[in-house]
Amino acid sequence: MLKYVGKRLALAAVIAALSVTLLFIIIHLIPGDPARTMLGPRATPELIADLQLRMGLDQPLPVQILIFFGNMLSGDLGMDMFSNRPVATIVFEQLPHTLALIFASIIWSAVLGIFLGCFSAVRRNSLADRLTGVLAVSFIAAPAFVIALYSLLFFAVELRWFPAIGAGEPGDIGDQLWHLVLPSFAIGLSWVGYIARLVRASMLEIMGEGHIRTARAFGLPEKWITYRYALRLAILPTITVIGVGMGFLLSAAVFAEIVFARPGLGKLVIDSITTRNYPVVMGSVLVSTILFVASTTLSDIVNALLDPRIRQSS
Amino acid sequence: MAITETKSDSFKTRGEFAEVLHHLVRDPLGLTGLIIVSLIFTAAIFADWIVPYDPIALNIKDRMQGPSMNHLMGTDQLGRDTLSRVIMGGRIALQVALPTIGGAITIGVLLGMIAGFGPRWLDNLIILFFDTVRSFPTVMFALAVVALVGPSLTTVIFVIMMTSIPTYGRVVRTQTLTLRNSEFILAERSMGASVGRILAVHILPNVLGPLAVLAAMDIPTVVGLEAGLSFLGMGVKPPTPSWGSILNDGYSLIRNTPWIIIAGGVPLILTTLGFTFLGEALRDVVDPKLRGRR
Repeated sequence: MLKYVGKRLALAAVIAALSVTLLFIIIHLIPGDPARTMLGPRATPELIADLQLRMGLDQPLPVQILIFFGNMLSGDLGMDMFSNRPVATIVFEQLPHTLALIFASIIWSAVLGIFLGCFSAVRRNSLADRLTGVLAVSFIAAPAFVIALYSLLFFAVELRWFPAIGAGEPGDIGDQLWHLVLPSFAIGLSWVGYIARLVRASMLEIMGEGHIRTARAFGLPEKWITYRYALRLAILPTITVIGVGMGFLLSAAVFAEIVFARPGLGKLVIDSITTRNYPVVMGSVLVSTILFVASTTLSDIVNALLDPRIRQSS
Repeated sequence: MAITETKSDSFKTRGEFAEVLHHLVRDPLGLTGLIIVSLIFTAAIFADWIVPYDPIALNIKDRMQGPSMNHLMGTDQLGRDTLSRVIMGGRIALQVALPTIGGAITIGVLLGMIAGFGPRWLDNLIILFFDTVRSFPTVMFALAVVALVGPSLTTVIFVIMMTSIPTYGRVVRTQTLTLRNSEFILAERSMGASVGRILAVHILPNVLGPLAVLAAMDIPTVVGLEAGLSFLGMGVKPPTPSWGSILNDGYSLIRNTPWIIIAGGVPLILTTLGFTFLGEALRDVVDPKLRGRR
């Protein structure tokens, strides 16, 4: 097991390093100069040269990448040229808001998705199963930001059931949770569909396996077999999907944060693009990429802990 | 001899196509998807003739109206007819989705086949590339690129294409790995067929089925991403009507009129539903093992 964890962590480190490098290369392959973009059309050549020097853009690309890696490992993501504060501080101030949104979405969508999947699998090929299937597909297809806009329109603006903007009063957990309802509904909805389908498929597969047949032959009650034996195994793939889903949720969170004017990484990036605050944009994208790599790695490791077949095959 | 072969091949293909269509029409979900997708394509192709008004013509006198006989979906803050903008928006959505997916499939197929058929080190290298590209949250990656080059349709297409390549590449690689040791490929090899011929003539046709399913399922994602980026002001530039920019207009006027948001969101939801239903039904046809498991 330790060997597997070591290998998986090494792979994650390589992928994280490569994605940072790839981001760097893409940025440099794109025509245009970040310093010029940041300063806008009225910048003088002296100003541009000065900013290039401060951002290290005058160095050759490999040197820039090495300097960046060195700084990143010591937790330095550069300085925000506008507020003169470290980018890392700004990004980590906003990160908890995004994480709270993502976790709230994962929790409610996993609970409902696992319930729906189980409900469908037990009633295989019935009308209820088919309806749940169509519902699940429709949820998957629904774009998160449209759901966000519609729920803002109906539940906040028209019906006034939920707050329309912000993340709630700092320190007031109840208020903060209240502000999480609509955004987490918007970005979690498609996950309900994914998880329901996944749990249904793996339940059906497991219900046909030998150990379940043996349990039936022993005369154990059907409910016991379904919930104690089958469901426990059937929710395993959900863990992998949630790990991979982190990327989608990070993307969807951008829209939810803009629509509901919530603080968070997404809003930070959009605001920074509007003010051409290039180091903050890059810092936020990097942190979200590393977060995504970390979550897929973690879900793989948890999966291997729970399922010995995975660590043996690798 | 060669002519007979081509003839029988084309008959076979036509037969398969008819069979796929037959299955799609018999599946309620597939039929719904097919109808929605056909309507979207028809509206996008004939948009110039269908639109009741010029989608970018200003008419301040009639601004922010609700639905009426003159303007079925109402008008926006500049008096532009929302229905006309929605129809034209469909064209933009497909103009982004089709080249993006076409490009991603082409590159994905190429890399996937090389990974599956080439030496082990090349396979590892390509897989590492796929994993790296997949490690970016798509929207964040798109925003990073847009921050530097400014918003445009080309940027949107480039970014979404880049992030879609691994999806196709991985499927093609797995299929190629399964096929490379099958008897008919070994026979071809022993007869001295070149790698290029084996890949193009024998492997490619076998990977197209799953790719069609993936592409149908991927179109909603691409359309949603384009609309999402345009909603954020990072996609198409005004006054070009995109579903995302219509939603953006509606968002800024959400307390004045609900109609613009409703009108901008419905086609987006319909498109994603239509393609997803079609993809689901197609998968059942391509992979009969899954039939009835939905």
